[in-house]
Amino acid sequence: MPEFISSTITQRFCRGAIVAALLAITPVGQAADLTDAQAIVSQANLASYYRGNDGRSEARMLIRDAQGREQVRQFTILRRDREDGGDQDFLVAFSRPADVRNTVFMVAKHTQAEDDRWLYLPGLDLVKRISAGDKRTSFVGSHYFYEDVSGRNLQEDNHRLVETTDQHYVIAATPQDPVSVEFKSYKVWIDKQTLLPMTIEYQDEAGKVYRKVEVLKVADVSGFPTVTQSRVSDLRSGGSTTMQFRFIRYDLGMDAAVFTERSLRKPPREWLRRPES
Amino acid sequence: MSTIKSVRPGQRWYALALGVLLAGGAGVIPGSVLAGGLVQADNWAEEDESWGDDSWGDDQTESAGAALQGFYELGVGGRLHNDPVLDENLTLAEARARLEYGRYFDDTHFTLKGDIFADGVEHGLQGDLREAMFAFSVSDNIDMRVGQQVLTWGTGDLLFLNDLFAKDWVSFFSGREDSYLKAPSASIKASYYGLNLGGSGGDNGVNLDLVWTPKFTHDRFIDGERFSYFSPMVGTNVAAPSGYFVPEEPDQKFENGEFAARLFGRQGSTEWALYGYQGFWKRPVSMTPDMRGNFDRLTALGASVRGNLAAGIAHAEVAWYEGKDSNGDDPLRANDQFRALMGYEQELVSDLTMGVQYYLEWTQDYDELRRTDGHSPYRPDEYRQVMTLRLSYRLMQNNLTLNWFSFWSPTDEDYYLRPSVRYRLDDAWSVTVGGNIFGGEEQHTFFGQFEDASNLYARLRYSY
Repeated sequence: MPEFISSTITQRFCRGAIVAALLAITPVGQAADLTDAQAIVSQANLASYYRGNDGRSEARMLIRDAQGREQVRQFTILRRDREDGGDQDFLVAFSRPADVRNTVFMVAKHTQAEDDRWLYLPGLDLVKRISAGDKRTSFVGSHYFYEDVSGRNLQEDNHRLVETTDQHYVIAATPQDPVSVEFKSYKVWIDKQTLLPMTIEYQDEAGKVYRKVEVLKVADVSGFPTVTQSRVSDLRSGGSTTMQFRFIRYDLGMDAAVFTERSLRKPPREWLRRPES
Repeated sequence: MSTIKSVRPGQRWYALALGVLLAGGAGVIPGSVLAGGLVQADNWAEEDESWGDDSWGDDQTESAGAALQGFYELGVGGRLHNDPVLDENLTLAEARARLEYGRYFDDTHFTLKGDIFADGVEHGLQGDLREAMFAFSVSDNIDMRVGQQVLTWGTGDLLFLNDLFAKDWVSFFSGREDSYLKAPSASIKASYYGLNLGGSGGDNGVNLDLVWTPKFTHDRFIDGERFSYFSPMVGTNVAAPSGYFVPEEPDQKFENGEFAARLFGRQGSTEWALYGYQGFWKRPVSMTPDMRGNFDRLTALGASVRGNLAAGIAHAEVAWYEGKDSNGDDPLRANDQFRALMGYEQELVSDLTMGVQYYLEWTQDYDELRRTDGHSPYRPDEYRQVMTLRLSYRLMQNNLTLNWFSFWSPTDEDYYLRPSVRYRLDDAWSVTVGGNIFGGEEQHTFFGQFEDASNLYARLRYSY
């Protein structure tokens, strides 16, 4: 019996040591491949939309239609997470083009309920409440959808890991409610290192790719791999929108009160002001 | 890219032509401003990968980013049929230049918005100071806005119960952009933002707005100059010059200022507010003993809620209007009123939004009014009801917007239809065409009296 006990202890110790060694090694070495699709998309969701507890970034879009005509949008986004992977608040203040200058858009994103959305129109001093609506429609006239900007609810799709390459996890997704979306399915290439989705291809009923989202540039910001340039292409019309992010900061310590009616009427300069250097 | 390059110079010429035209008409020199706008646009014509940092533009929230901005606009509109009491068939004919300027002085934000326009209907060069305001915080939770400003609160969509800030009905009826419905006033607004009482959303506080408008600022009402109005004394529509409506205004003294307050907050997704107002009816709805129109004293109290319902947004608002005729037996003065509004808005299909509202205006002491007004055939209904419908459809990557807004009163048997179409040619140019169509069974009702004001309009705008 003592021998049995001691051997068990030894075994346990050894196993523990191996686990400890693995844990120690993982951050610097190559992680073992993830195999659970749900775990991968959850981590990708955190990597894309929940870095830090809050963040600010300036963004601009170059919208190009099939005829090559261009429009621009420029805005500053403030974000604060109420819970990692859960509810979030966003404030979007527009500076270009001229007809939306100083318009402010505020969203309380809920993962278990409809989002709350407000729009402040400075010409009327009007705080307008907007119904939640279809999130797969154009965000301010670009080829991005609202959902591309604030994140698609993970519970709305079924995810399947179809391939693991040297660089990517390839996830295939189909909607829980096919009537609610314009795609039949989509495929995501998620970077194994950063867990950022690098390419998303949306397929129609015929299985043809008609819409593509690509990450063009990633930079390290405060230790977080962050997308700084991406593009959406509408392969049917030939139009596309390129989006750039600059002046990104994380964990600024924004208060919950930043995301209230006060900020619509008096945009919070403390966070909107472009940081020095 | 070649197509862009070949299109842009052309647009430049149009912009320049419009700018010069407006400069001539309005007597300002916008050349430098115009050039500035175009140079900025050029930075974006480069290839994606060569976007330089400089083309991000100045930080607009910084003092260094102080800039002149605005738009030029040409607007033309005309009556659908003649108004027998007005010679002028144009309802909108103007070349307008808007100038906007903003900068920070330390933490105080100064903004200036002014219009100069050459008006072909009321003839002459006119100015409209829309905003000249200092916005600053006096403590962590008190914000101030001091100066000429536009003010709005309440939940109604083009129906106002507790929003007793000045409106510009002349602009609204003639097809100027919707924002001109709100007229500016020289006011001081103090906002107190209460402490959060808990929760993580920052939305559980109780807040207070106080607005003082030292000089009573009435609506820019229909006075017979651009549009005729129904006169109960004559029994038909009248207009300027003989029917030009110049009411008696309250004297300028402290107690004749306007005071407005709003206590408001948010519980989760639901917003609530309580309102109070002390001042005057914003339109001259009463008369002096010598039969001159005037603005009677008014006190109003009200409340509103707004929140999610099913897949849309619902709102409800009530207001009690307490005038100077509490017994209702003075036919020259407006009786007290109870006003109520309910509305609902929802996206029907992608990019198509529908909003409906029901509005009630309940005149109090109606029997007294009936007894004392000499059996007036023009007496308003005891329960005036209005339904509104808004449809808004965005197409072509949001560049085309189709809008429908209609007021319809089953009790007055009259209506006001406001269809419009806006097309954004690009980030600078936009075209809007629309109509203001009034009608009704009787000539004296709220909308029915403006049947001859029915018009179609078009506007071309260059924003910079």
